[in-house]
Amino acid sequence: MGGGLSKLMDKIFGSKEMRLLMLGLDAAGKTTILYNLKLEQNVTTIPTVGFNVETVTYKNTKFNVWDVGGQDKIRPLWRHYFSGTQGLVFVVDSNDRERVEEARSELQRIIQDREMKDALLLVFANKQDIKNAMRPDEVSRRLKLDEIARDHLWKVEPSCATTGEGIFEGLTWLSNNVKLPNK
Amino acid sequence: MPFPEFSVDESAIDSKNLPPAPSNRSGSPTQEYIAQEVSQYPVQGAENHVEYILVASFDIDRGSVMEHQFPGPISGDEHMLAELMLPDQAHMRNQDWTIFFLHKDTTAEEEARAERRQRRELRQQQKANAENSEQLDPIARAGVELERNEDTDEEYDSELDNDPEDDSENPPLIYVLNLVNMKQDNTVKRGAIVKAMAICTRHPFLHIYKPLLLLALDEYFKAPVPETLASLYNAVNSMDLSLMPRLNPLERHILQASDAKDMFIEKFDIMIQQRMIEDAKHESMTSNSSDASAPAPAQRRYALPRDTHEFDSRVLYNGVPVPVKVPAAISPETVGDFSLIKLIQTFSAPHATSPQPFALHAHLTTSGAYTHPIIVLVNALLTQKRIIFLGHNQPSGSVAEAVLASCALASGGVLRGFTRHAFPYTDLTKIDDLLKVPGFIAGVTNPAFAHKPEWWDLLCDLPTGRMKISPKLEPAPITEGLVSFQQMGHAPPSHHGYSHHHAPSSMNSFSAAVGAGISAATNAANSSSPPSSITLQNDPTGDHAFMDAISHAITNRLGESAIRSRWRAWVSRFTRVAAAFETTVFGASALAPGAAEIDADALGFGVRGHGVVWPDEMAKVRDLAANASRIEGWRGTRTYFTYLQDMAKWWGRGAGRPGVGLRGIDLRYQCDRLRTLRLGYDQSAFVYKAIARTVEMAGLEGGPSADDGEKLDPTDEDQTDDAAIELELHREEVRYDVINQILLSMPESQGGLFYLGLGLFHPRPDVRVAVVGLLERIAEHPAGRHFWANLGRFAKLAFFRVKRELEAQTKA
Repeated sequence: MGGGLSKLMDKIFGSKEMRLLMLGLDAAGKTTILYNLKLEQNVTTIPTVGFNVETVTYKNTKFNVWDVGGQDKIRPLWRHYFSGTQGLVFVVDSNDRERVEEARSELQRIIQDREMKDALLLVFANKQDIKNAMRPDEVSRRLKLDEIARDHLWKVEPSCATTGEGIFEGLTWLSNNVKLPNK
Repeated sequence: MPFPEFSVDESAIDSKNLPPAPSNRSGSPTQEYIAQEVSQYPVQGAENHVEYILVASFDIDRGSVMEHQFPGPISGDEHMLAELMLPDQAHMRNQDWTIFFLHKDTTAEEEARAERRQRRELRQQQKANAENSEQLDPIARAGVELERNEDTDEEYDSELDNDPEDDSENPPLIYVLNLVNMKQDNTVKRGAIVKAMAICTRHPFLHIYKPLLLLALDEYFKAPVPETLASLYNAVNSMDLSLMPRLNPLERHILQASDAKDMFIEKFDIMIQQRMIEDAKHESMTSNSSDASAPAPAQRRYALPRDTHEFDSRVLYNGVPVPVKVPAAISPETVGDFSLIKLIQTFSAPHATSPQPFALHAHLTTSGAYTHPIIVLVNALLTQKRIIFLGHNQPSGSVAEAVLASCALASGGVLRGFTRHAFPYTDLTKIDDLLKVPGFIAGVTNPAFAHKPEWWDLLCDLPTGRMKISPKLEPAPITEGLVSFQQMGHAPPSHHGYSHHHAPSSMNSFSAAVGAGISAATNAANSSSPPSSITLQNDPTGDHAFMDAISHAITNRLGESAIRSRWRAWVSRFTRVAAAFETTVFGASALAPGAAEIDADALGFGVRGHGVVWPDEMAKVRDLAANASRIEGWRGTRTYFTYLQDMAKWWGRGAGRPGVGLRGIDLRYQCDRLRTLRLGYDQSAFVYKAIARTVEMAGLEGGPSADDGEKLDPTDEDQTDDAAIELELHREEVRYDVINQILLSMPESQGGLFYLGLGLFHPRPDVRVAVVGLLERIAEHPAGRHFWANLGRFAKLAFFRVKRELEAQTKA
């Protein structure tokens, strides 16, 4: 009976669960964002061998966040994490103009995969604390989001993983836009 | 060039492998037989202990990369290897161990093999020249043949090993033990260095290298150069195991099942004596030679092992002597140092406190929805399901251990073919290849696997100790065997209408018949609660009772080897139940070759019968019915076919040769009858006399042995003496072996010689005399003497009394 009641409460208060996949080039700040979400403090991270996964609850939404290592050799592995993903969090180093084109082609490959067709796309224009970093509009232009993500609901959120700036705003956007899967 | 001069630098002492020249054969047959032992790992062995040392690191730009390989590149996909060496989440812990196996041998490896083959041929030639007759030690011969056996399942392995592997003496698996270290370092970009070092060996006891890898990887962090790998390579390959005697399969089983710390110490002793004689020879040779620069080797001291289960050696690495203990007897399918107890406890504890029902599957849930998870696991292994051990947030070493333990569990040292399809640690990068392997057993740490039920049939979650049968697993097919079993009217008497969720409705009547096992499943499913007490009704397979006994043994701290022996008995019994099932359904079974001969008592032992001893026909039918589904699931698997091959070999080589089965009688069946049935005096008399006869007539009876080249040739008088000695020697060998088989049929865990000892109280004097004769032989036997020592005082008194009576009679 207790179980039944809590399920009812869930419906009233709209508690939901969301599976997020966080990808991006190496050293973009994925793991830092993950642990900023989880621990709400800045941690020093080292390169991820394989993946990290954490569950974070924010505003009635339980986020199951997968953070997968970004070195180019391991990018072909990303596809194994696609199925069941409701939101893609793509992290871009806004200060790395040289590799923004590389980031675009990776993002295009991911977002146009059949298994990702229903996923929301949140782009973190990360490392905004750096002086000459690209602004969100420049990031979305360089990533050609209008073109490659035209079948998706997307948003670019300026962020700074080390301070946590922008991160929860991004989650709120995801939480507000996620479609509850038909049960 | 993976095989440098290193392995041949002692080639001068080639005599070590050779059996003593025939001129030495003058002592008594017994002495002569025993005084030949062959090393498991002779100094002159073609194989190095360790074949490769690898170092990989996680590059912040490129991911996992191989840094160095020594003595040369190991061939195959270097990048894949580097990924395996840097397991998922290696950045999360300072240290981690992994194990993985390499199957593929590519060109470089083949060249090396060709080279080895040449070397071996050369050696064999030398041997042939030195010895005009082929007098290889029988134990060595058995060993070589066994090695061949281990390779025969190649054809079932084509998914993994596409290379035509014709060199049957080389086991194609390379075992890799890998150590990963993560060191925080603020001086480098992104703050950490992750490096891994691996040892690649063909020996299954790879755990002995752990301390050395710890030292060497530490060294490599300081000196990241190939020389660091080279010094480890040279150190481990200098490890001397040459004093470890080779044991045949029977001896290995006896040693493993025994707690005696000096079991087969005689063999170790002889190894030392042989060595000392050689040392003396060698010394006199070197002192004669003009080469005075080499100092005469100091008289080396050889000590007997404190416990014959392990051979003590050491590896001198960087000036540090590192002690290593190498297991003297290793069962097939035993790799590394896992713990069955740990595996069983992991999955038993949650089941004991709050059992959860499984989704029913005829192969797996053989005792219903509340089948013990360990039984589900073993059933899954037997019926070749795809099994994944998942240990999220656990070191990858722990999933590897669980995989290795489960292979040993289902093998019991009886069945082969599990480790070959085991992937103790693997990750997502290998998923496409993994899915091509039918019936894999894999260890992973990535929880993504849990979300992909189409990838596995059984998921074993280590952190929670729960197992899950995949909802995508196809229901067990209804096989011919099951149908004929039902048509024979072997429906168990009591069961209600059974409706398996996936059985076609038209087959309901059939399904109803497939067994009490399944009816128990319905019972359990209907009552929707786990059975509270064990009765025949709800435990037709006996597995509940078995698992209870196992838990009990674990609680009573009986130890790992006791648990392994019990599993061995379980698996062995399963194969015999399967044989009985096949015989019932198909009229004969290749699982029990020679059964016809045994049942007809063709060799005149005076007893008949083989296989499992059931108290009555009802019990047999119930047992077969309960096991029918998983037997049908096992038939046709890789382990089934390798077992068939093993049985055919065991039987085909016939009696009269050491290391192979005794023909014409099923010793275990007869011993089980003594133990479990109430036999009348007449019946037991036949059994006692038959067992005694196997020893007394060893090497004489049983077709093939009689004309096995040892025939006396009366026309040549000079040879008659030699031939007689030859025959006596041969008989001694066979007798030794037959006693080993008797001992294995009367394991200490089942009372040892107790039931044999009861024969000393038999009313018929001829039976008492036969038993005394048999026990005397056993007491003289190197392994038998330990069994004798454990025989009760009461039986011993009777033994001496009967012996005195006998002496009095002969005097009179």
